[in-house]
Amino acid sequence: MIRPPCQAAFVAALLLFAATACVAVAQPPQPIKYSHQLHVTVNKIDCRFCHSSATKTASAGIPSVEKCMMCHRVIAVDSPEIKKIAQYWTEKKPIPWNRVTELPDYTYFPHFRMVNAGVACLTCHPGMDKADAAVQRQEFTMGFCLKCHRSRGVSIDCWTCHI
Amino acid sequence: MLDRRDFLKLGGATAFAALFGGCERLPRKIVPFVIPPENHKLGEALWYASVCRQCPAGCGIVVRVAEGRAKKIEGNPLHPVNRGKLCARGQAGLQVLYHPERLGRPLILSGPRGSGKFREASWEEAIAALMAGMKKVRTDDPASLLMLTEPMRGHANLVAARFMRAFGSPHRVAWDPFGQDALLSACDAVFGVRDVPEYDIAGARYVLSFSGDFLETGLSPVHYGRAYGRMRQERPTVRGKLVHFGPRLSMTAANADVYLPIAPGTEGLAALGIAHVMVKEKLSPAAAAASSLWGSGLDRMTPDAVAQATGLVAADIAAVAREFAGNRPGLAIAGDAAASCTNGTFNVACAALLNALAGSVGAPGGVSFPNRLAPFSRYGADAALLLPPPESGYPALREAIGKMERGAFRMALLSGAANPAFCLPASLKFGEALLKVPLVVSFASFLDETTSLSDLVLPVPTYLEEWGDDIAPAGHAGDAVTLSQPVVDAYRDTRAMSDILIAAGKELGGPVAAALPWASFRECVDKAYGGKGVNLEEARRQGGIFTGKPGPSRPTPKAARPALPKPSAAAFEGDPAKYPFVLHVYPSIAHADGRGANLTWLQEMPDPVTTAVWRNWVEIAPETARRLGLADGDGVTVTSPSGSLEAFVVIHPAIAAGVAAMPLGQGHARYGQHAAGRGGNPFALLPAGEDAGSKGPARQSTRVALAKAKVAGTLVRTVNVEGQWKYENIL
Repeated sequence: MIRPPCQAAFVAALLLFAATACVAVAQPPQPIKYSHQLHVTVNKIDCRFCHSSATKTASAGIPSVEKCMMCHRVIAVDSPEIKKIAQYWTEKKPIPWNRVTELPDYTYFPHFRMVNAGVACLTCHPGMDKADAAVQRQEFTMGFCLKCHRSRGVSIDCWTCHI
Repeated sequence: MLDRRDFLKLGGATAFAALFGGCERLPRKIVPFVIPPENHKLGEALWYASVCRQCPAGCGIVVRVAEGRAKKIEGNPLHPVNRGKLCARGQAGLQVLYHPERLGRPLILSGPRGSGKFREASWEEAIAALMAGMKKVRTDDPASLLMLTEPMRGHANLVAARFMRAFGSPHRVAWDPFGQDALLSACDAVFGVRDVPEYDIAGARYVLSFSGDFLETGLSPVHYGRAYGRMRQERPTVRGKLVHFGPRLSMTAANADVYLPIAPGTEGLAALGIAHVMVKEKLSPAAAAASSLWGSGLDRMTPDAVAQATGLVAADIAAVAREFAGNRPGLAIAGDAAASCTNGTFNVACAALLNALAGSVGAPGGVSFPNRLAPFSRYGADAALLLPPPESGYPALREAIGKMERGAFRMALLSGAANPAFCLPASLKFGEALLKVPLVVSFASFLDETTSLSDLVLPVPTYLEEWGDDIAPAGHAGDAVTLSQPVVDAYRDTRAMSDILIAAGKELGGPVAAALPWASFRECVDKAYGGKGVNLEEARRQGGIFTGKPGPSRPTPKAARPALPKPSAAAFEGDPAKYPFVLHVYPSIAHADGRGANLTWLQEMPDPVTTAVWRNWVEIAPETARRLGLADGDGVTVTSPSGSLEAFVVIHPAIAAGVAAMPLGQGHARYGQHAAGRGGNPFALLPAGEDAGSKGPARQSTRVALAKAKVAGTLVRTVNVEGQWKYENIL
């Protein structure tokens, strides 16, 4: 029997969607519908413009409300989502984002070391540039880290990450 | 078309992803600044100062917190007790916080009483059950409320004490198996002060330890450990000497310059032998002036007589006496094993007498009695409630058990890590007595042998999530108050016992509400320390209020003319023919009385002397092993008149002959998966003995028999640190 490939692909896609949705299902919706796709792919904004700590500190950081407002004082001010940001800004309240990307507590991961060594953001955050709602598509298992560490000849000593 | 096989393959992958995706994630917010401060660096850890409550020593800690999670605990460098140091148990505090078996919901009994079967309940339901019980008891017979806790201190104790007083019940019992009863009685007898002395080990030149395992357990191991290091290395030309008498090579004994094994319970006699030589040869001014001791019986304590009773060599006694008197300041310390004999007060008093004879009382490098009450004088009679109660509470607990059996209590409130159902001798039948109390409410973080006997278990925050204050029992001169604060948000849905008591007081109304006039426990602490020239926020940042200005020490009226402690011999239960060995039990460096046994970091920590992990063992001398046909690592049944258990043999060349030594702490039946299956509980071997002088518990009071047995598993010992004696086949 000839299998119509599109049907199998459709079910596969459906199930995979269910799988990723299960990973993401624990995530409550974000307070603001922020689209990485729109900012990164369409408008070509560098990741490090918003996540500016990535080159300086262990944590990549989430942009402050002030940084959002730098642009959105003038850009797309009538959009309902931007109005929400403006509301936070007027009330001088931080935006309570829900954390998406998880790294286990017992590891030390300095963003600035990777970023300054030229590791592209998308290596560990694949598909983030195309995502409308941020999802963690890559589980940070030790094997994943070590694969890269080995291929680049970086230290794989236990204490490098587990300090 | 998608066939069944493909569907199952894909479905399997989905289920797998769902399984892991479904793991409970902590609710996590990631909240950026509105306007970031200039030059702010994200992801840098914050350090919060607080207090360690893994043992009663009360060390100051700082906790590294990154992104709202506690990641590492270290000692607080500003804290006078530990000055930046911290022991393994303190480090393991993170596992208490993150323990998977920690209670996060109130539990209500769902099976028969004592079954340990509970169902989760809401806080509303749990508090309603608590209040219904309290109101009924308060109307019918307020004095039938029992509060049984570990020794509490600081304002948590003030709240509990005021609650009970206003409620109308005098029945408050604080139980600590390693209380200092014998030390208190001995200090009262020899110095005329009923208090825990401060030992200036750092300033001493010569330290005599009579089973005083001050480096690993005891009153304040980190403080004394640091002081010991200073005694050895701080002074350029002086290296203090440590001589240890005791039945077992403990970690302190292993650190001593000289270790002299003696028969259990003869620590006092050994000290009197030294005193005999000091007085006879007038080796110090105080000894020369103490001729009255001679007539009252010291003349009979000749080195030869003492050597016979203790198993020492007479010449060693005389030599130690001369060195001790010639290298002043000298310090004598008696420890738990000496104090927990049936003649414990005598043993400790004899060591205290040596301090008096060496002229070390109130002097640098000696013993002193700082007035720790002075900073709290504004509390009047309640000031003593803030200090750590040093007693074990053993007599009061035994009395309470009798009353429970007679049905005198209608409700019991239990709290703290003291686990009487585990660490009381089985013959006292604590568990059975507790089940005769109609309503038992526990405030706890874990289910253990005692809390699982409750009707209602209320989950409390760990010490890393709590507001509070603390006064350490040793290591400061009354000039240090430690403040604790939550270093992270509460991980579970918990409420502090003090907060529950304050809220209960409000609901009970009348005098109880008036006695606890705060909205919360935090307000109680804030009002106690805030204002009056104290910047509370700054004090919390530092970890407490450390004035560094010690008040005057308390006088020691009897120290100038000490009396001779009345010699008494230690009694051991059991017929020597049937039970040939004396059982020496000691608090485990990892688990103490057993409270640390559910933490894997402590289970996997090698014992410093035997390097054993995860299991129970019994140490015996090589000749004992040879006689019984036992090899190292063999299984053995240890039988006392009170009970029996199985353990593994560790052959140790430095243990006194005729002694079998076991660490306490393992052998839990109900303390979670990590504490289960670790061997028998040595507390179950002990009779309900007491120290004649202080009525404190006498753990060193039974004989045992050993018999080879098949015990499942093996005793894992990490490395062989015994060195030469093993390789050279001395065994």
